[in-house]
Amino acid sequence: MNAIHLQIPAHADYIDMVRICLFGIACKMKFAYEDIEDMKVAVSEACNNAVLYGFQDADSGMIDVSYEFEEQSLTIKVKNSGPEFMYTDAVGKAAPLQAAEVSDLRVGGLGIYLMQALMDDVVVNTASGATEVVMTKYLAAE
Amino acid sequence: MNAEPFQIIYEETKDQSIIHISGELDLSVVQQLRGALEPVMNRTDKALILNLKQLKYIDSTGIGIIVSVLKLRDEIKAPFFVREIPPSIKRLFDMTGISRYLTEGTEAEA
Repeated sequence: MNAIHLQIPAHADYIDMVRICLFGIACKMKFAYEDIEDMKVAVSEACNNAVLYGFQDADSGMIDVSYEFEEQSLTIKVKNSGPEFMYTDAVGKAAPLQAAEVSDLRVGGLGIYLMQALMDDVVVNTASGATEVVMTKYLAAE
Repeated sequence: MNAEPFQIIYEETKDQSIIHISGELDLSVVQQLRGALEPVMNRTDKALILNLKQLKYIDSTGIGIIVSVLKLRDEIKAPFFVREIPPSIKRLFDMTGISRYLTEGTEAEA
């Protein structure tokens, strides 16, 4: 397996770098345009969660991103240290907007749903004060 | 990939407040967009229009802002339209279910 690693400060200003790097790798692997767009959003959602919930001490954290590519798949891992984000609770509740009335719509909570909807596999590992989101997309069969 | 900087252009007509957003709408510009919406989203004398024609990227943070504006405009019974949604963004709107609550609106209607 080949891998490219990227480390960014846990700040919203650097999430675009994660997308730019993803774009380069996914293009080289010849992913379809739409699949690349999907992965860009999914990876950003994982980074958003790491930035928003991953660190108590906002200025000190780093996010490690690794892009692991095989012949038919790209796996992106987004890892941050800091308190565990309650992914297990959130994953169970992840759903699209479905209220009958606009006034009943909830704000937020779409990020995890989007990760699941946009990638082929999403696994979250939480252990010893670190959270790692592992997402895989397969190249569509020709 | 050209990472286009996020930009907001505000336009005001007789009966509309139009906010044109372009580039990438992600977590890093959420405050900027909220700041631009702040002075106009409570106005009931003008329709609020969000024009997405030049928008290249959105994720749940941007969609969350649109949901909160939808709710507010619904509460104060004031018109809100989201216009010229690019296909790649429309796809995410459909996926998250927000499309169903949006009114696209045309120049003539609004």
